[in-house]
Amino acid sequence: MIRLSNVSHTYGDGPVLEDLSMSVDPGEVLAIIGPSGVGKTTLLRVLALFVRPSSGTTELDGRAVWSVGESERLALRRRIGMVFQEASLFDASVVRNVEYGLRVRESWRERLRSQFRSVLGSNGTSEAVEEALEVVDLDDSLEQDADSLSGGEAQRVSFARALAYDPKYLMLDEPTSDLDPRNTGLIEDAIGTARERGIGVVVATHDMHQAERIADRVGVLLGDGFSEIGPTERVFEDPTDDRTRKFISGELVY
Amino acid sequence: MALDPAVDLLPALLDSPFREGYVSSIVYVSLYVSVIAVSLSTLVSVPVAIVMGFVDFRGKQFVKSVINTGMGFPSVVVGLLVLFAVSNQGPLGSLELIFTKEAMIMSQFVLATPPITAISLAAVTGVEGNVRDAARVLGGTRLDVALVVIKEARYGIATAVLAGFGRAISEVGSVLIVGGNITSSDGISKTRTLTTAVQLEARQGRYETAMVLGAVLVAIVLLVNAVVVRLGDTGGMGR
Amino acid sequence: MSIQRRRFVAAVGAGALAGAAGCLGGTPVSVGSSSSAGAGDADASDDGPGVAGETLTLTTTTSTYDTGLLDAIHPDFEEMYGVSVDAVAQGTGAALETARNGDCDVVMVHARGLEDEFMRNGYGVNRRDLMFNDFVIVGPTDDPAGIEGMGSATEALTAIADAEAAFVSRGDNSGTHTKERNLWEAAGTDPGGDWYQEIGGGMGEALNNANQQGAYTLSDRGTFISQRSEIGLTVLVQGPIEDGPEVLANPYGVMAVNPGVHDDANYDLAMAYIGWVTSPGVQEMISEYESDGEQLFFPEAVSENPDFQQYVPDGWNGGE
Ligand SMILES: Nc1ncnc2c1ncn2[C@@H]1O[C@H](COP(=O)(O)OP(=O)(O)OP(=O)(O)O)[C@@H](O)[C@H]1O
Ligand SMILES: [Mg+2]
Repeated sequence: MIRLSNVSHTYGDGPVLEDLSMSVDPGEVLAIIGPSGVGKTTLLRVLALFVRPSSGTTELDGRAVWSVGESERLALRRRIGMVFQEASLFDASVVRNVEYGLRVRESWRERLRSQFRSVLGSNGTSEAVEEALEVVDLDDSLEQDADSLSGGEAQRVSFARALAYDPKYLMLDEPTSDLDPRNTGLIEDAIGTARERGIGVVVATHDMHQAERIADRVGVLLGDGFSEIGPTERVFEDPTDDRTRKFISGELVY
Repeated sequence: MALDPAVDLLPALLDSPFREGYVSSIVYVSLYVSVIAVSLSTLVSVPVAIVMGFVDFRGKQFVKSVINTGMGFPSVVVGLLVLFAVSNQGPLGSLELIFTKEAMIMSQFVLATPPITAISLAAVTGVEGNVRDAARVLGGTRLDVALVVIKEARYGIATAVLAGFGRAISEVGSVLIVGGNITSSDGISKTRTLTTAVQLEARQGRYETAMVLGAVLVAIVLLVNAVVVRLGDTGGMGR
Repeated sequence: MSIQRRRFVAAVGAGALAGAAGCLGGTPVSVGSSSSAGAGDADASDDGPGVAGETLTLTTTTSTYDTGLLDAIHPDFEEMYGVSVDAVAQGTGAALETARNGDCDVVMVHARGLEDEFMRNGYGVNRRDLMFNDFVIVGPTDDPAGIEGMGSATEALTAIADAEAAFVSRGDNSGTHTKERNLWEAAGTDPGGDWYQEIGGGMGEALNNANQQGAYTLSDRGTFISQRSEIGLTVLVQGPIEDGPEVLANPYGVMAVNPGVHDDANYDLAMAYIGWVTSPGVQEMISEYESDGEQLFFPEAVSENPDFQQYVPDGWNGGE
């Protein structure tokens, strides 16, 4: 479980998150919705142990992440995967991108050996990499250059890259914005697969129908924190908070 | 003296006016000195560029301006400074480095480091923040992130190394001052490089032979360029 | 006598070794200077003078270097002592400055005034006259200042200055440049103006420059001879070798860096070099060295007459 307790974060001018508490469990899909600029990306970065919040505690599986040593934090962070909102593939082939997370978890000795083997051209693709690419239906473009991929394919490779090293939690920052229905469908299916594998998935999205389709729970970020967080059906059908209701019905414009 | 390169160069190349082993030993010294100096510069420059690109520290602006000044530093001045350092009277005098390849490597190191650092820094800064973040979020250590940045910036870094190599191998002022342009009496170069050999030939008015050596120098620079560009193309993360 | 015997033994020994090893450069060949044993012994470095494998650094002028003389004679020295000589060609001024800084062991230059100053200041010891050639005033064949055949160098320079005919000066503080300035001074002229150009380069460059623009210049005979086939300049005022004025004489001296000032100078080897280069055999080699069919340097070290003046500054009067 990832748990945030009384987390506040500021980038200097005014708080983005304030006194926010929440948790994510393995095997559930939590959708984060909220207007642009409200702090969804910031929250995901905090959840991915990527950003240390200005105050409050971040716990992963019972460990207070920012109180442990550097090397233990690295080990904790390695239980989490994240797909960024913006394209962030390495300038390399699809395989190289997807296997990156596996590589950095190897010892230097193994890494040198596989580097050497790849120079000799006899480096087989690992099962985990192929499987991850299968999940996003890209297992036939292994050697393609990342920068020659379409936007949708690139987003799917990013997903596979985060999935390949079998994380316990997965943060997806607007994974389907800009994507056509087919790519969106492929990603949503992949989210389902991840959930079946017991991965706790947090998805930031602007698409409320998507949230309804895929999420077990929904958190609505308005202002500095959650106006509402709870089971999908209840939040959409029967929001207790007035602003949430307005936001969902599209009346609240920021 | 009328000088028609097209006509004069060919015969000069065919019946070499040089003693056996002379040109190859000069080429060897040129490459030895430049390659070692540029390698050392690269080992220093790339980490410096990465630290400068990643970390904010006090005096960073100052370091940047030192590097930029260093880019335009006249080589003869560097030669003089190294001469003072390695001269018998200088702080490194006891190492007896004057008129040696090692002294030449020192001055070329000083010359090559600023351009390599500056161009690498530009390349490193050009790597998208997202890509760095991705390396980190996928479980990379600081070192892994640095390696990813180097790989992403490989073309820029290759350009930087080339620029440094170009500056080193075609530089004449400082290697002449600290190296002394020495060949042993059997005609094998000790500290004579292609550039100082060209200078020597020109001093004696032998412009044709100077042209031959100059052509060799240009050929080497072009060749190294081609090799590095190729490496940049095929190397890195398995393109 | 003993020197010659040793040279002979050394030459045999070195030759045998070189033949056996098939290589000269890296083979430590040494010669007994105190003990005569083991000259042909492959293990000679054990009982040699202890200099084998050392390096002698010589700074010298571009004129001795560029004529190829040093490359012709140095292998003899290197074989004899099993050492190597690093010859660094600089202007006379720079060569002496390098020696002042203790960055070389022995200096061979040609500017008596500068040499005397160097010795007087204690940086050098044991100066010997080595050889001489002479300076010549060269210029275009059409000779616009009309100096051809003049018996006086100063007269010729005055004529050039009066005609404001183009003149190229080395301008590099070399021995030749120093000589040229002394000549202008003796002629009572302070050259300046468009016609007088200091190029700050070596003799070859100066000759080429003068050739390009049809100018006069002062050259040492050696460099001029080695280059004359490629340029259209001609000798207009001869030096003393061809019965010209004595003032155009160009004597070379050799001296060791004072080990009392720079204790890490290789004084032993420097003195060995001076002894060798002033020996009859090597003086003979110098006189036999030719370029373009002409002798370039005239040995001056071996003479049965006393030549006290070579050890003391020019015009020495017994101490001030
Ligand atoms: N690195 C940063 N430095 C300073 N301010 C930042 C930084 N990152 C985000 N912010 C600010 O924090 C606020 C929240 O940004 P965030 O990216 O978390 O929003 P978001 O909800 O993800 O928006 P969107 O839906 O447009 O992606 C914004 O006002 C943004 O300008
Ligand atoms: Mg965002």
